[in-house]
Parts: sequence; structure tokens; C-alpha cells
Amino acid sequence: MVWGQNGQVKKKTYRSLYFNSSTTLVPPIPVNNSQWFRLLNSIRFCCLSYLTFNSQRFRFLNPPCNYPKSFCSRSFLQIVDNLSDEQSMKELVTFQVGSYANFIGSHFWNFQDELLGLLEDPQSHLIFKNQNLDMDVLYRTGETQQGIPTYTPRLISVDFQGSLGSMSSRGTLYNHNPSPSSGVATWTGNVSTQASEPHKKNLFLQRLYDEGQEINESEILDTDVVKSLEDGVQYWTDFSKVHYHPQSLFELNGLWMDPKEFNNYGIGRNTVSEGLQGDEINERLRFFMEECDHVQGIQFMVDDSGGFSGVAASLLENIADEYTNVPVLLFSVRSPNYYNTLTSRKLSITSNLHDAVSFSALSSLCKLIVPVGLPSLNESRVSQYLNVEDVKLYQSSAVYASAIHSINLPFRMKKMGPTGESSNESGAMDLYECIQMLAGQGRQNTVAILDAAMPPPSMTGKRFQQPLLGNLHPLTPETAHDVDDSQAIETMIVHGALGAGEKEVSVSEVREAVETEYENTSSTRPRFSHLSVSRCPLPIPLPFPSIFNNLVGRRGDLLSNSPTVSESPSRRGPLDVHSIPMAARLRSSTAVLPFLENRLGYIRKFGIERGSIGANVLTSWGFGREEIEDIGENLSKMVLALNPQQEYSSDDSD
Amino acid sequence: MSVRVLNPNAEVLNKSAALHMNINAAKGLQDVLKSNLGPKGTIKMLIGGAGDIKLTKDGNTLLKEMQIQNPTAIMIARTAVAQDDTSGDGTTSTVIFIGELMKQAERCIDEGMHPRVVVDGFDIAKKAILEFLEKFKTPVVMGDGPDREVLKMVARTTLRTKLYDALADQLTDIVVNAVLCVRKPEEAIDLFMVEIMHMRHKFDVDTRLVEGLVLDHGSRHPDMKRRAENCHILTCNVSLEYEKSEINAGFFYSNAEQREAMVAAERRSVDERVKKIIALKEKVCKGTEDNFVVINQKGIDPPSLDLLARAGIVALRRAKRRNMERLILACGGEAVNSVDDLTPDCLGWAGLVYEHVLGEEKYTFVENVKHPNSCTILIKGPNDHTIAQIKDAIRDGLRAVKNTIEDEAVVRGAGAFEVAARQHLVNNVKKTVKGRAQVGVQAFADALLIVPKTLAENSGLDTQDVIISLTNEHDNGNVVGLNQHTGDAIDPEMEGIFDNYAVKRQIINSGPVIASQLLLVDEVIRAGRNMRKPS
Repeated sequence: MVWGQNGQVKKKTYRSLYFNSSTTLVPPIPVNNSQWFRLLNSIRFCCLSYLTFNSQRFRFLNPPCNYPKSFCSRSFLQIVDNLSDEQSMKELVTFQVGSYANFIGSHFWNFQDELLGLLEDPQSHLIFKNQNLDMDVLYRTGETQQGIPTYTPRLISVDFQGSLGSMSSRGTLYNHNPSPSSGVATWTGNVSTQASEPHKKNLFLQRLYDEGQEINESEILDTDVVKSLEDGVQYWTDFSKVHYHPQSLFELNGLWMDPKEFNNYGIGRNTVSEGLQGDEINERLRFFMEECDHVQGIQFMVDDSGGFSGVAASLLENIADEYTNVPVLLFSVRSPNYYNTLTSRKLSITSNLHDAVSFSALSSLCKLIVPVGLPSLNESRVSQYLNVEDVKLYQSSAVYASAIHSINLPFRMKKMGPTGESSNESGAMDLYECIQMLAGQGRQNTVAILDAAMPPPSMTGKRFQQPLLGNLHPLTPETAHDVDDSQAIETMIVHGALGAGEKEVSVSEVREAVETEYENTSSTRPRFSHLSVSRCPLPIPLPFPSIFNNLVGRRGDLLSNSPTVSESPSRRGPLDVHSIPMAARLRSSTAVLPFLENRLGYIRKFGIERGSIGANVLTSWGFGREEIEDIGENLSKMVLALNPQQEYSSDDSD
Repeated sequence: MSVRVLNPNAEVLNKSAALHMNINAAKGLQDVLKSNLGPKGTIKMLIGGAGDIKLTKDGNTLLKEMQIQNPTAIMIARTAVAQDDTSGDGTTSTVIFIGELMKQAERCIDEGMHPRVVVDGFDIAKKAILEFLEKFKTPVVMGDGPDREVLKMVARTTLRTKLYDALADQLTDIVVNAVLCVRKPEEAIDLFMVEIMHMRHKFDVDTRLVEGLVLDHGSRHPDMKRRAENCHILTCNVSLEYEKSEINAGFFYSNAEQREAMVAAERRSVDERVKKIIALKEKVCKGTEDNFVVINQKGIDPPSLDLLARAGIVALRRAKRRNMERLILACGGEAVNSVDDLTPDCLGWAGLVYEHVLGEEKYTFVENVKHPNSCTILIKGPNDHTIAQIKDAIRDGLRAVKNTIEDEAVVRGAGAFEVAARQHLVNNVKKTVKGRAQVGVQAFADALLIVPKTLAENSGLDTQDVIISLTNEHDNGNVVGLNQHTGDAIDPEMEGIFDNYAVKRQIINSGPVIASQLLLVDEVIRAGRNMRKPS
């Protein structure tokens, strides 16, 4: 993909098999021969881990796979960091639990894969080459039994059985003998084979497969791929271009129910706590945690609209137990479709109770919870430059994934010393610092609001001057706008920002612009704010849905006067838009009060009140009277933290 | 029909339709699982939409893989899975027994009997059979030294229904030894103390019992030994990694020096913990060739690893929680939660600790321990589905042995119990029952025969011939089971075919309960879906 080139450029679908960045190869290490020999010896045994030598840490870069390890030369070593520096917390482990969480996750990993691909591509833009993001935060280096190196997300995904579509739960890299013809080795008697109809690969997956087989002249055109994805995404794997580790994808089996009935906290809770499945997921987490040298935290996405929140709660309990000091950042996500299924009063009471119970349980098990998912994305203010069909999970999840990707960036930026300044990014922080900042001080409010501007307006220049802050709109449901909260705390990330005339804006210019805006803004300035800036925009990979409207340009610049409607389609997708700038923000503010108050109201009205309708429902989920009251207390504490003036007696619950 | 009035959209099935719906569901499930039963059954290979392969001959696994939607079938499946949870085996038998009870009941009901009468008969028969089982079982004396031969026979009977004979026989010894290894006098057997580990490597026959432990991770430092002999083992749950201090410590510092001082202090406290461990090592290993291995449930970060490696210590981090318990049982010593009061008494001992690397997977073997009370079954196999199937079989085998020890009894197998129980019902019990409940007793008795019938059917024998020859032989006063190869009657005791007492009792207990419930259903209402708000 070449910038600014017109005409039909075939968009590459990057799919990184292994990470082979050769950006910072070490200059010859000053060691004498005997030391060098010892070093080589240790390398032979240690191809996964880091290597400590002469108080420097090295990472062993994987040589080409046919290369015997004993022939490693010095050029395969990379200095990671000096031990004398402060230990930086590094690795993140990601959880995706539930269908919609996996849809979002699928887009999220596509972005990462695209960034990796752009890093390697000699033709990509300089911005992507110098992105300076540490991908090892999210990815792990591995090796198959055949000795082929791999680079896969450090991820655990949990979903229904059969939700993986045409992807094997063992992933794509570590499979060798999937053919059923190899016969049954353990049984000499009869064999009956029950094969279900193979899932047909869509055009996109076919093309990925072709490219994997090095058939470069794939006959499948970009436009066809985009069209087939627009019309027919059924599973989240349909648009995923990432290779997963065999430990990553977990299917819940033995549910024996329609996914529609798997719709409340109680059911999910029972599923995992009863059988061995919970243990197995925890084992997989241990697998990823064991390899981490300094885990900085766990990033957890859960589709909390149904039983998966119960599943997540029991997983989180284990995390709190086993990895006590590892902070968890939880995104509780919810698809727009969820809001359409509540057709009867009974269902809506159940779901209200579920909301209250699930939120109370999840929030008490993590350090920071971010509710994400508007009832209608298309009608929200975020969609100023977007055109999203709410019914399509494939489209709406892309928006949330973009925002979560942005929030995630500061965790991967390389930390500079006190004096070091990078021209490419600033404002690195780790997950722990982020959580401490938002939730750890003052009000101890652990609920944050996610805001995004997709794409934000240009940062400099008079012509298009629009306030950035005014363009950040919440992706969290049930929030109040225009609140004056002098105690607010926020952390913002702006990346890939453009200025007048499509020019990239430097890091310091962005900092200045944001600072000026804080000064000039009419509403109260937050008590504390943190800003992270990166020059690297959000790359739009091929399997990204066409959700931009015709005001968005090739690089995410905003066209001031809409081009003549006739010549451009009403929706622009990955073929028209190659990257966009993004701004996203996490905010701890009283604006989240309606969200909390609603949940408190639900549990009081349907659960706690004498003779309330929902008491039976809660009992069937396994909650006793006292536990229900605890939930109410927990929620009212959260409300009180933000709004100490108001007295919430347990009487005024209507 | 009152439901119709309340909700015109509700689907209502009347009496006979409801009953037949239930019976058909039970029969359907029976048909699916029937071919699994016994050592001549059919193994099922399931290929998913993405080409994933699963192999199973286990009713429990198969049920979990099926996307059952029918509510009746779900009820039966839940009973069967509960059967597996409580007694470890007999899922397939439960399902086919329930199916057969329903089938026999259907016959009576079609002839005009009321389901209630049939159910009464079931109740009487069930009580009688449970009493009969007490008399029929073969007691096994479990003293300090249990009869290995009996345990082996039970294990072999189970394993041979899941794996081919040679492999089953090999696993029989492994399974029995494993259970006896973790058995402690006067205590319930905790099968969790048998670790089951698998490696995708070599062949199924390379599966073996490791007296000691196999951990699925290795040391994370290149300078640590890959193989160490005569090892002192420290099992601990102590964080050896730099952590930011707990909540509220704040992360704002007024100047850079303060920040660095805090970081240094944190680091120092970790280093001190490491140094205490090193000091213990110096104490116990000084002047000897002994080695020292630290197995930690919490993390160990690279600087700590480095310190330990320089002191010649092998260290493993993030061990499984259960392995902490197993390690103590296998190697001795005790698990420590703090390094403050370390004494040589805390240490366990193993003759050999070594690492095995397969691709990115590392395994650490802790072997040659002195008095193992915990052990590991190491499953090997060329691919995942083979491993998974062996794993299922081993789990069943372990529980069969455990049940035998706890029941202090076994039941003669190969259909012998079912034939004897049936004859007992027909010849003795039925005569004592007055009135129409006799029909229910007879139906129950005939349903019992489904087990030998299915065994015969799966072996390609004629079911009628087999049943006649078995009942005749039984009425001659012998306890007989079915020879799978010839269809002749055999003495299961001679052949060494024994089932678990607990499993049989559970089947007799739960089968009729669920069948009775389903038979007594006289209306099925399907409401709640597509219901609109009554506004």
C-alpha cells in the first residue's frame, strides 16, 4: 500500500507468522571469546525466554526456521533493556469472554496484526515503521514442535461451542495432522464417523489461505472481499486474519440450551463452577502467565449481556485469588442487538436484575470497569462521521475495538527516562498506573467512561478548527452529558492526529493544542488529566467494515465540503480509507451516575423490596436474601462515592 | 386447556402426545448411545465444521459434545452426566436403561394401562433390586494391602470398553498403581493427587506412570541446570518478583530521587527474600554434591532468577496450585508461605529432576522420590484426539479402582447382574405383588435385559438366542455373563469381568426415578417463547 497513490492498489492483507523486526540489532557485544562461547551455549537451550548476560538483557530473535540454532550469530541478539533501569512492567494478558467480546477482540487483533505487517513492509509509510510500540506486550514468541517460530496473541477467548465457524480451536499454526483418515489408533473395533458439514470459507478467508500457500496471484479481488464481508459475517472468525495459539480459543460445551436462553448471570455461573471447564480455562491462563517476566496486568473484555458475565465472574475470582497483585482492566461490552430482544415485561425484569447483579459482581472483582456499548451506535453522537448498521455486529464491534485499541496504546509505548523525549510518542504508562490514576485516588470510583472521537477533527490550523474535547463522545451507555464535575479525572490518548492540509502534527503540537483547549474550555477543567500522544494512526485493515461516511478522507482527514454525492459511495471502507487518526479517553466522572443509579434502582425495585417480583428469579440464580442485600449495598456505595450529598435511603426506590 | 385461555399462543400437547414425545426422546437418545456399550462397541469420531476431530467411546463425553435441544432428552442427559459425576462411569448404561424403561412402559400403556400403575410397579421392582444387589455383590476385603488382582480386574473391565486390549492392559497396571500410591489409610482417596499430564510425542504405548511429579513448565533461566541429581526441594508460595506496592501508595512523587528510592527499596525487599533462600541452600548443600530446586507458586522475575541461577539453584515459577500439595506428598517437606522461618525440615527430596523440551513446551520431571504419596500418569500420543481419548479412559479407570476400594465390593459383570436381577424379579418378586403393579414389575425386569441385549447386538450376535441361553443357564443355578466372542454363557468371575457396585446401584437408583417422572407427564405446555406483552 503506497500513500497517495491513486488507482487500484491491491491492499495487502498482512498476516504475521512471526515477528522479525530487525530495527535494533545489537552492535557487536564487547565480550571475550570464552564469554561468547558460554552465551552461545545458553542460547541453544533458551530460545523462548530472555537472556541475561553481563547485566544486560537480550532477546533472542528467531533465525530463519531452517537455520540450526547452533549457528546463531550475534546479529540475532537484540538488547531489550539494561537491567539497571527500572523494571518496567510489560506483558498484558487479554481475555475475551462471550460472543460480542470476541467480535470486538477480533477487530482489535486485526489492528495489531496490521501494525506488525506495516512494520515489516518496506513500502509502508514511515509513521508505521517508527511506531515504537512494543508488540511483545500483547504477543508471545513461541515455537511449534517442528521448530517453526510463531508470534501469537497472549489471549484467552471463551465462547459457545460452534462459534468458531471455519476456524479450528487449535488455531492455525500448530496443526499438523488434522486428517481424519489417519485412523483411530486407540480402538480396534468399529468406528463410526459423524462429520458435520464443513463450514465454507468466505472469500476473505479463502484469500488469506491462498496467500498463506504463497499463491500470490490470488484471483479474489479486494472489492469482492469487502462485499462478501459486508453481507455475510456470521462468526467472529470470518473476518479474523490473526493466527491464534492453540491454548487461546476455548469453547464452552455441554450447555444444552439455545444461546438465547443463556441469558443470565446465574446460568453462566453454574456452567463454569460445576464442571472442569472453569479449571481448564484457569490452567490456560496459568500457561500464559508463567511465561511472563513482568506482567503488567490483565485486560478483560466480557460480553456482559448474558450468561458470560457469570462465567467471567468466576474466572475473575480465580484471578483475584491466584494473581492477587495483577491489576485487571475490565471492559464490559454489550451489543446493540441486546436491547432489541427484550420483548416482554418478564424478560425485561429478568434482564434488569441481571444488569444489576452482573455489574455488581464484575465491578467488585476488577480494579477498573468500563461499561461499553450503546443501545444504538448509529443514532449516537459518536457516529458523526460514521454510518453504522446497528444490527450488524461486524460493524458496531469495529467502532468499540478502535476505541479500545487506542486506550491500549500507552501500555505499549516504550518508556523514556526522565530526560528522554521521543518525537514519536509521549505519555507512556502501564496498566497499573492508569488504574491508579483513575480509580486509586480521591473518590475511589472504579467505574470509568469510555469516550472516543473517530476520527477527531484536525488539530491545528484555523480553517477546520473544531474543539477536540467537544468531539469526544461516550461509548458508555446511560451517561449524563454536560456535567460539571470538579473532581473528574481523565486520561486521553490522541494518535495519528492530522493538522491542516493533511499534515501530520508533531507530538508537542498535539500536547499544546490539548492544553490550550483545556484552558479555553467553558466547562470545568478536570482535576487531573493525563495525555498520551502517538504519531501512529489507526491502520484500517482489509477486513474492516465500511462504516465511514463520505466526509472521511483517505487518511482519515475530514473533508470540509462533502464531495459530490454522486461520485462517492455513501459508505467508505478499507479500500477508500487507509488509516484514521483516533482520540479516546477514559474518564472518571459523575457523568456515570445515571448508569449506577439505574442498576441500584433495579435491584431495589425487583430484588430487595418486600414481595418484589424478581426475588424468585434471584433465588433461582443461587442468591440468598443476604447476598441480594449485599449487592444493593455495594451499588449504593458506588453511587455514594460519586454523589455524597444525596441520601439514598432504602425507601425511595421507585 | 385452560392455558389456551390465558395464552392463546401457548402450544399444548395433550396426554398421549406428551407421553409419546417423552418416550420418543428417550428412545432417540438411547439409539445414539447404544452402539457405544461394551468392549465390542463402536468408537465415534466426531468431525466439526472446522475439521476438528474428537474421538470418544464415552457416553459422558458424547453427551457433552451433542447440542441437545429436546427438553426431555436434556433431562435424561443431565441424569446421565450426574451419574458420571457421582460414580465415574455408567453414563451409557443409564441412558439406555432409561430408554428401555420408557419403551417397556410404552408397551403397557398402549395396552391400556395407566402410567401410574406402571410407575408403582417400577417402585416395587427398584426396591427389590437394590436389596438383591446387596446379596449379589461380591465383597472384597480391603485391609492394609488391598487385593491387587481384584482391582486390576475392575480396572481392566472399564478400560477394555474404551481402548484396545493391549493398551488397556498396559494402562490397567498404571491405574491401579496410581490409586494405591495416593491411598492413605483411614482417609478418602483424593484422585486429584494423581496428576494426569500429556505430551504430544511418540505413541500411545509410551504412556507411563511417573512416581513423582511431572510439571508442565521449566526453569526460565539459561544458566540453570537441565538435569540435577540428589535434589533438595523447596515448595513455596512466595512472590519473588518486583511488584508495585498495593493500592493507595500513589504514583506521584515529588522528585525523581524519591521515586528511585522507592523502586530501590522494593527491589531490595525482593532480593532479601531471594537471599534467604540462597542461605538455606548454602546450609544444606555445603560440602556435598547435592542440588537445590525451588518450585514456587508465585512469580519469579528475571533478576531473582539470575540471583538464584548464580547460586546454582534451579527455580520454577507459577506452579499449579494443586501441584503444591502433590509435591509435598511426593517429595516430603512442607509448603512455605514465607521465607522468614526457613529450616531444612521444610525441604523435600528427589533423586532426579530433569527437563524435557518439546517445541515451546517444557516439562520438568521430579523423580526417584522416597515415599511417594502422589504420582503422575504421563500420557503420550501422536495427536490431540488420541491423547484426549486416553485421558477419558484413564479418568474412568481411576475412578473404577477408587470405587472398588471404597465400596469394598464388586459386581460380576458381562451382563450377569442384569440377567440375575431380571430372573429374581420374574421368579420371586412378581409373585408377591398383588394386582396390576405386576405389569410394571415385569416391564422393569424386561428393561434390565437391555444391557446384555445391547452387548450381544454390538458383538453381532443374535439377541434372542443369547438371552434364552443366558436365562436358561441362570435358572440352572449359575451366575452367568455373556461371552462377547461366541455368545455363550460364561462365568464372569472366572473371566475376571467385574463392574463397580456404586455404579450399578446408582443406575438402578436414578434410572427409574427419571423414567417415572417422564411417564407421569400428561401435558406439555410450551409457552414463554414469542409471547407478546399482554397490553
